[in-house]
Amino acid sequence: MIYDQASYRDDSDELYEPLLVEKASKEVAVEDGPLPDDLTRDTLEMPELSEPELARHYTRLSQMNYGVENGPFPLGSCTMKYNPKYIDQVAGLDDAAVHPDRSEGSVQGVLDVMATVQDYLASIGGMDEVTLQPPAGAAGEFTGIAIARAYHRANDDERSEVIIPDSAHGTNFATAAMAGFDVVELPSGEDGRVHLEALEEAVCDDTAALMLTNPNTLGLFERDIEQIADVVHDAGGLVYYDGANLNALLGQARPGDMGFDIMHFNLHKTFAVPHGGGGPGAGPVGVVEDLAEFLPDPHARETDDGDYELYEPAQSIGKVHGYHGNWLNSLRGFAYIARLGGDGLADTSEKAVLNANYLATQVDLEIPYGPFHHEFVASAGDLDAADFAKRMLDYGVHPPTTKWPELVPEALMTEPTETESIETLDALATAFDNVLAEDEATLASAPNRTTAGHIDQASAARNPRLSWHALEDGEE
Amino acid sequence: MSDTTEPGNPFTPHTPSDVEQMLDAVDADDATDLFDIPSAVRFDGELGIDARGEQELKREITETLAQNDELVEFMGRGHFAHYVPSMVDELSMRSEFVTSYTQYQPEIAQGFLQALFEFQSMLVELTGLEIANCSIYDAATALGEAATLAQRVRSTSGDRVLVPELLHEGKRGVLENYADGPDLVVDTYPMDDANVDVDGLEAAIDDDVAMVYAENPTVRGTVEENASAVGDLADEHDALFVLGSDPVAMSLLQRPADVGADVVVGEAAMLGLGTAYGMGTGIFATREDYLRQVPGRLVGASEDDDGRRAYTLTLQTREQHIRRERATSNICTNQAWLALRVAMHAAHLGADGMVDLAERMVELPTELAADLDALDGIEAPVHDRHHFREFAARTDRSAADVAADLESEGFAVHAIDDHLLQVCVTDVNEHATDDLVAAMEAVL
Amino acid sequence: MSFEIPDELHYQDSHEWVRVDDGTATIGISDFAQDELGDIVFVELPSEGDDLDAGSDFGVVESIKAVSDVYAPISGSVTAVNEDLLDEPELVNEDPYGDGWMLKVDLADEGELDDLLDAEEYEAQLA
Repeated sequence: MIYDQASYRDDSDELYEPLLVEKASKEVAVEDGPLPDDLTRDTLEMPELSEPELARHYTRLSQMNYGVENGPFPLGSCTMKYNPKYIDQVAGLDDAAVHPDRSEGSVQGVLDVMATVQDYLASIGGMDEVTLQPPAGAAGEFTGIAIARAYHRANDDERSEVIIPDSAHGTNFATAAMAGFDVVELPSGEDGRVHLEALEEAVCDDTAALMLTNPNTLGLFERDIEQIADVVHDAGGLVYYDGANLNALLGQARPGDMGFDIMHFNLHKTFAVPHGGGGPGAGPVGVVEDLAEFLPDPHARETDDGDYELYEPAQSIGKVHGYHGNWLNSLRGFAYIARLGGDGLADTSEKAVLNANYLATQVDLEIPYGPFHHEFVASAGDLDAADFAKRMLDYGVHPPTTKWPELVPEALMTEPTETESIETLDALATAFDNVLAEDEATLASAPNRTTAGHIDQASAARNPRLSWHALEDGEE
Repeated sequence: MSDTTEPGNPFTPHTPSDVEQMLDAVDADDATDLFDIPSAVRFDGELGIDARGEQELKREITETLAQNDELVEFMGRGHFAHYVPSMVDELSMRSEFVTSYTQYQPEIAQGFLQALFEFQSMLVELTGLEIANCSIYDAATALGEAATLAQRVRSTSGDRVLVPELLHEGKRGVLENYADGPDLVVDTYPMDDANVDVDGLEAAIDDDVAMVYAENPTVRGTVEENASAVGDLADEHDALFVLGSDPVAMSLLQRPADVGADVVVGEAAMLGLGTAYGMGTGIFATREDYLRQVPGRLVGASEDDDGRRAYTLTLQTREQHIRRERATSNICTNQAWLALRVAMHAAHLGADGMVDLAERMVELPTELAADLDALDGIEAPVHDRHHFREFAARTDRSAADVAADLESEGFAVHAIDDHLLQVCVTDVNEHATDDLVAAMEAVL
Repeated sequence: MSFEIPDELHYQDSHEWVRVDDGTATIGISDFAQDELGDIVFVELPSEGDDLDAGSDFGVVESIKAVSDVYAPISGSVTAVNEDLLDEPELVNEDPYGDGWMLKVDLADEGELDDLLDAEEYEAQLA
């Protein structure tokens, strides 16, 4: 048992952690202050606890939460690798905490780091320029597609469609729609990859871009990538690389060399920036030389004098973040890349791919598509993948991503990452196989050894209670 | 290279014999054989990035960042700092929080979910609106999301959004990009002494307006006195009133719901984070009516199968992983860990602490402006308004020159126009106000 | 697993059903459809007086993990909407052909019913 929280299921409820306001709150009247009453609110009610009580509250909450350091976290597509401690320490340096409107001359250290990590990422992706502005992967997609839109407009060639394979991340579809494009969904070929003939049929004069993940969400490398890029380029479109699966390719292959024109990186996946319970991330975007003039404003660069400056690219798409993106994560990403170096990055992908392939040989589940790289998509067969995952929790491990991609029935999308040991992979395989051997009733009653039992999602959605105010109203 | 002593990834646990055993199991001679990459696109060059040891690297980064000038910052304009208690750093850094993922398996993520539920609740209290999500990237992107929400929920078609002529360039720029896809047009309305010019807004607004945006405090640091009038005008034209603010300001200023706000967006990173070269924690709150059009993640309360209260991400059908091109937004990763820090900081302050801090943010700029106004060559504040954290000052000399000279003296302020400075003072720099006044006297 | 498919109803291949009484058509989704979607948490329906065209989407049914458009099997003007579904969307799961009905429509063209499947044809489609 790697992670067991069954003790939290004590019937006595002693271990239940009340809300801050349930412990103590205070309502204060807002009056007699420096502003006239008609410009102020009347009252404010907030939790009112001493620091020691708060420290216990948040420590208890942390104990009711599973992170990478609690055990394996093979969540496909999310790259939940170990987050080295020093990268958080450097992000906490006083000199990193500067105001975004400071003069460029007074923040040369920050701009130096930004320009250097831009160069590192450009090298890793085979791109010519990289912006650090997008604060997350989805924001990177939005930036990249905005660049594609600006490029076509600059050529007086307004285009209305973005092509996306059916197996792609949901963000790709949402991004294209947000940027005002119609989505053309591309059915996968029988081998789980892009089908060239289908692509040839899908492209047209309106094709602004193809968005592609490589290796794709099944972990498969798009072997025809050069022809794919040619088909899109011949139609006048651009090819966008979704960097979600870049952990498979570090130092092994580069999107720029495959014909991609635009790509985003996920610093919080590939480059060990901690996921933080869902953010903040960072989604830098790389482009080939012809597209560099469209990058967001501002962009950092080194001057001929060896100083660093910010400038607005000639045909910039403008702003995608209020200031300079999630700067502290750019710094964390720099710290990770610089620690590993080129060889360490190449080793990262080798171990990530080795771990996924090894784990796959140790589990008894069917894996319909291959050869896969850093992740594989197994099928839970006759079992419900979501129930399968809940039962895995009882073996003290985090389950894979479930029920997606839909090409695999009852999918279990599994990405162990390079930072798991062979012993942990074996324990993970045991968890998979134990669950596989169990009956549906056992699965349906899981989980039993977690803080909370199976949570009723339907009632949460039918009767949304999204604040302590709503809970109080419900009790009245 | 995997099974040699050459430097590899220091964070992989594999011993050479582990690698051998694993390669055997997968029937490969070398890990590189596992890659199914055509040789034409195989990378055989060097990335040109040297590996460094941890100690060496920390020294390098420390030295690189030390190229920054050490300045006492009197800067704001949307990005603010308040003192962050040590407790916030220590507890938020617990690895169970930092290294966890989005709460797709709620049964082992109750801690973070509860913390985010508490964050949402604090915003509900501060805004008076029924719904708050668990963050957007920053204030600018939250404003962009608000504009697209306004377009979606409005019963009649309308493609204009109105923003104040005085608006932070980052917010304006991001809004323009969000407006492009859905063909919204961004127009401005005039300001009068750094408050909304209500007559001007009335002239600008029409039934084709989907959203009116205003801020309290404004980008000039003035307290907005006409917020209710904006709400009324928006209401008359079936436009959404989107109000920009922050949690400290909302602790004192008119409650957004009371002035008719339909959506509140803004920045919360002055709690829990402070200055981080613009990294932010965007907030997004709205009325219950628009629940199903809210972008981003929502945490809701439910029960587990033993009937105990439990929390879960809810209403996920709004989001990209289910609704794809019809999602309310493409946002997934947000600023969750910073939202946790906001909640910790706000809880540490408590209601008294929040209100006291906010009241101090009214007093400090008044005091500093008066001290500067007593000098020759500067008039402060420029606007005859109440101020929050910051104020504009008019200089006889070029503002840019004054700001540059102040930098030589060790202080950073904004130059926002030919003869306008903007100065921000909070609890983190108030100890240095006398020094700033002395430096100002020297450079004017 | 077998699903209830009442004989007297007309079906559409996208899993909506129609019951006709005196020129008024009642519309809902089939037992199979509610089972496929799982726990239904939200139903979005048109307003009374809206005109529907056969084959066009008239609303949305959401479960926790899926969103599905619902399509009008026939054309006509909406005369009633099942308001109970707003508070109790689970009625669609519990009683898809009864309390889980969605709309009543003033049938514009009775001939359109001929384009729909009967119970036997619908069952064959599910098999």
